[in-house]
Amino acid sequence: MPKQVGPPDGQPDPERHIMAMQKQTLLERRYSMLGLLLIAPTVLVFCAVIVYPLISAIYLSLFKIFTPTLEGTWVGLDNYRELLTKGEFWTSLRTNLIWTVGTLSLQIIFGVGMALVLHQNIWFRSLARSLILFPYFISTVVAVLVWKWLFNDLYGILNHFMMSAGLIEFPIDYLGTMPNAMISVILVGAWKYFPFVVIAVLARLQSIPDQLYEAARIDGAGPIARFFDVTLPQLREVLVVIILLRAIWDFKEFDLIFLLTGGGPVTSTQTLPLVVYKEAFSLNQMGMAAAYAVIMMLIMLVFMLLYMRRTRTEGS
Amino acid sequence: MNKPSMIGKSISRRGALQGMAAATAVAAIPMRASAQDATLRWWSPQGAPAQVAAYQAQIAEFEAANPGIKVVFETTSDEGYAPQLAAAFSSGEVPDIVTHLPSFATQSYYANGLLEPFNDVIEAIGVDDFYPGANDVFKAADGNYAGTGIGNSAANMLWLRTDLMEEAGIAEAPTTWDELRTACQAMQKGGIYGAVLPYGRNSMTTLIFVGVIHQAGGQVFDTDLNVNLDTQATRDALEFYASMRELCPPGATNYSWGEAITAFVSGATATGIYTGRVLGNVNAQNPPIADFITCVTYPTKSADIPTWTFNDFPSVFIPKQSRNIDAAKAFAASLFNPPGYIQQLHAAPGHVLPVLKSINNNPLYQANEIIQKYPAEVELMSQAAAGGFNLGYESENHPSNEKAGEVVGSGVIADMVQRVVLNGENPDQVIGETTTAIENIMNG
Amino acid sequence: MVRKIAFNLFAWSIVLVVAFPLFWMLVTSVKPQFELFRRPPTVLPETWTFEHYWKLLSETNFLGYFWNSVILSTTTTIVVVAIATLGSYSLVRFRYRGRESLAFLVLFTYLLPSVVLILPLYLMLVQLGLSNTITSLVIAYTTFALPYALWLLRSFMAGIPEDLESAALVDGASRLGAFWDVILPQLLPGIISTALFTFILSWNEYLYALVLVNSDEARPLTTGVMNMLISSFNIEWSLLMAASVMMSVPLIVVFAFLQSYLTRGFGAGGVKG
Repeated sequence: MPKQVGPPDGQPDPERHIMAMQKQTLLERRYSMLGLLLIAPTVLVFCAVIVYPLISAIYLSLFKIFTPTLEGTWVGLDNYRELLTKGEFWTSLRTNLIWTVGTLSLQIIFGVGMALVLHQNIWFRSLARSLILFPYFISTVVAVLVWKWLFNDLYGILNHFMMSAGLIEFPIDYLGTMPNAMISVILVGAWKYFPFVVIAVLARLQSIPDQLYEAARIDGAGPIARFFDVTLPQLREVLVVIILLRAIWDFKEFDLIFLLTGGGPVTSTQTLPLVVYKEAFSLNQMGMAAAYAVIMMLIMLVFMLLYMRRTRTEGS
Repeated sequence: MNKPSMIGKSISRRGALQGMAAATAVAAIPMRASAQDATLRWWSPQGAPAQVAAYQAQIAEFEAANPGIKVVFETTSDEGYAPQLAAAFSSGEVPDIVTHLPSFATQSYYANGLLEPFNDVIEAIGVDDFYPGANDVFKAADGNYAGTGIGNSAANMLWLRTDLMEEAGIAEAPTTWDELRTACQAMQKGGIYGAVLPYGRNSMTTLIFVGVIHQAGGQVFDTDLNVNLDTQATRDALEFYASMRELCPPGATNYSWGEAITAFVSGATATGIYTGRVLGNVNAQNPPIADFITCVTYPTKSADIPTWTFNDFPSVFIPKQSRNIDAAKAFAASLFNPPGYIQQLHAAPGHVLPVLKSINNNPLYQANEIIQKYPAEVELMSQAAAGGFNLGYESENHPSNEKAGEVVGSGVIADMVQRVVLNGENPDQVIGETTTAIENIMNG
Repeated sequence: MVRKIAFNLFAWSIVLVVAFPLFWMLVTSVKPQFELFRRPPTVLPETWTFEHYWKLLSETNFLGYFWNSVILSTTTTIVVVAIATLGSYSLVRFRYRGRESLAFLVLFTYLLPSVVLILPLYLMLVQLGLSNTITSLVIAYTTFALPYALWLLRSFMAGIPEDLESAALVDGASRLGAFWDVILPQLLPGIISTALFTFILSWNEYLYALVLVNSDEARPLTTGVMNMLISSFNIEWSLLMAASVMMSVPLIVVFAFLQSYLTRGFGAGGVKG
């Protein structure tokens, strides 16, 4: 793998010849300037549209605020104190973790597997690829509605198929009881988002040099050994990023769960983003909602740091 | 557009927020200047194509009569209006008129100083033309009206299939819970379920169950707006609701309005609970049963308990920050003019019922296929809805409850139903916890 | 040969299972209303009808929403991918103080749930006089699409061997010249898949579109269709399925064309050379 690790900024080697060093630093300085120039648009956009709302979210979390007016009174850290002592926060966090781990692992396993299959020369490969990517193309709202229609207890085709196959006697209640509701939500989430993994992995698979496989074949490696010795190491970099991006995205997922179960039955599928929404717009407590959001961010931050440290040490 | 409540601490806070925006924005362009051009923005969550067509006709008529004023209709949605209006109110970019939100949303906004008093519009429409007491639900704590109803809805009518009743040998429509249960049991066969009630974690469950509590003779709040849930009536209501579970389709644990109406209209259940929208849907989607449907007010625990109809009182209100308040008021009043208003009601016949006596008696209103086909049902719903209530206004003796929207939105009542009915938890403990939860919302 | 057929059958059966909801969407959209609620459901429609499509196109503002979505998603994609390509090149191939922490900071901003970002963002857009415009949505979508795109492209960029660029530099190319001639062609599969993600994200976004825009001139498909066809009182299933089909099919067609760029040979050419 190309570098990635090492000193954050390239300090010239002190033992180099002094002439070379001056030339080097000059060029490096020009390069750094160019580098900064290229990153400037990104930084600007971030300052304008992300950092400001971010700071105001933290700011809002210190007030007790009525959402429609955004007027409030200063309460300091009271919101945080209150939410950490509430049972709702801890059960929702647990639900959130179950959902994230469940759906993410299915997405990765199924996504990598499918990418490998679609990388082969199967019949009508383009069509197959388009069809596989379809769940990711449709909007969450549409996906949820289609699934609700499939799951329907009265006119749903899933229950009909299973009943005519003799698998079940009565329609299954997919979304209204536990553990069905959690399983359904996780499965629909995996179905909706695994194509993301497929596209990214597929794009990476294209650029693995054939020579590597030939060399492995000459060494007598079978298909499974080739996967673990050649493909997986080559995919590592992409997978690390995909898992990170997907984990954050899944942890924050709102639309899908909100529209499928609304957090029910009772609070069995109520994840933290649903609580944030409820506080912000149903209970009109924007300050409390912001506090939840900031805590969520901190939790993700901790996981992210651990994850990055882990992958970095493994990578070097 | 400054309002008094912004002064003081809050304005400096808002100033801070806006200052941050200006600092990080590339260029701070001043607020859009749109004071002179009188364009009214009209929001409503009821945006089905037929309804929008009726709105456009009303707009055209108003624009013709008031040159220089333009009206733009914009749909919001039932899920979307809370965040959208929050964004609108906090930024000052408000719609000039909002229709079809439940009365308790109107009360909550009014209580926070966001709405213009509606008294003159009600007078312009004609105080005496409203059904008696029709505007009580909109009476705010300061004695003014926060808005008015653009229609009535009787949302918990018991819908019945007369053909199935006859088959099962049931002569009379049920009036008590016991009769209802017996009838549903008798009709539940051949793949048809006896009833449909919502058991989902959604607002329908909350709203319908509040009705069931009243049908047991109970209430959620007493007349001083203290939580009064810990009563025998609530326990009876929960017990009844649990006993109906086996008569409802398995997926009822996740049902809301859409699923509930479809179940009855498609013929999957022998009874249903819904507004008059059933009439139009049956005729469009399942004509074979169109001659065999009727409705009654939802049964009560015993004959001595009066019926309680849930009416969400679809409202009209005008935000205080509107830059064209007078034009908005004129337009609001014009929405009640006969031809346009009638076309609007006909877009979903029986679903939104007129609030004006003159409209209900207007031959033009009665000259609708559906209304003519089911005159008794429509009349019954009009009566029931006119005497209807909701959580924001539980009885004539209750002051309006401006926190009702938050109580519904929090889902605590639906949670109570789910915990007792689906999880089989101990009702006493659940009712106690629900009481605390509602009290917290009231105090919060 | 037998193994090949078996593999194909296996692959295609998975594909069909995954695509079944698409099939069901199509079937539902051509059933007349009264057939929808048949019990048990009919697998293939007994009566075919295209009235739902016709109704959407002729009686509603579907095409208007569609056009808004096209403009919105295309603009967002171009803006985001352009910024992110330059940014990721800088993050991977240049060395300057704070480079790593910058990449990290970008991700950090991506952690906040959008529910909380909405109101401050809306206030800012009103301040800029942009409320209720497509531009406001482009700006809003950048908030979540840019971190995503930047990190994806960064990983693709890291996969391009450094020797290639060094070789071009030794041959006398300027840094930007090398970027244009050597890096970009190598990065193309990555750019295309990132662009695809960005496009899809903006095509399907719901929550921001719901809150930030409330006029038909600027409203995209997701909220436009949902507001029109779903109220808590009623769901117009058949129209909804027809709309869903028309919303998704263009994406599938676009992808069918684009994906030849993602296939083998294109990206690998440079590595072999």
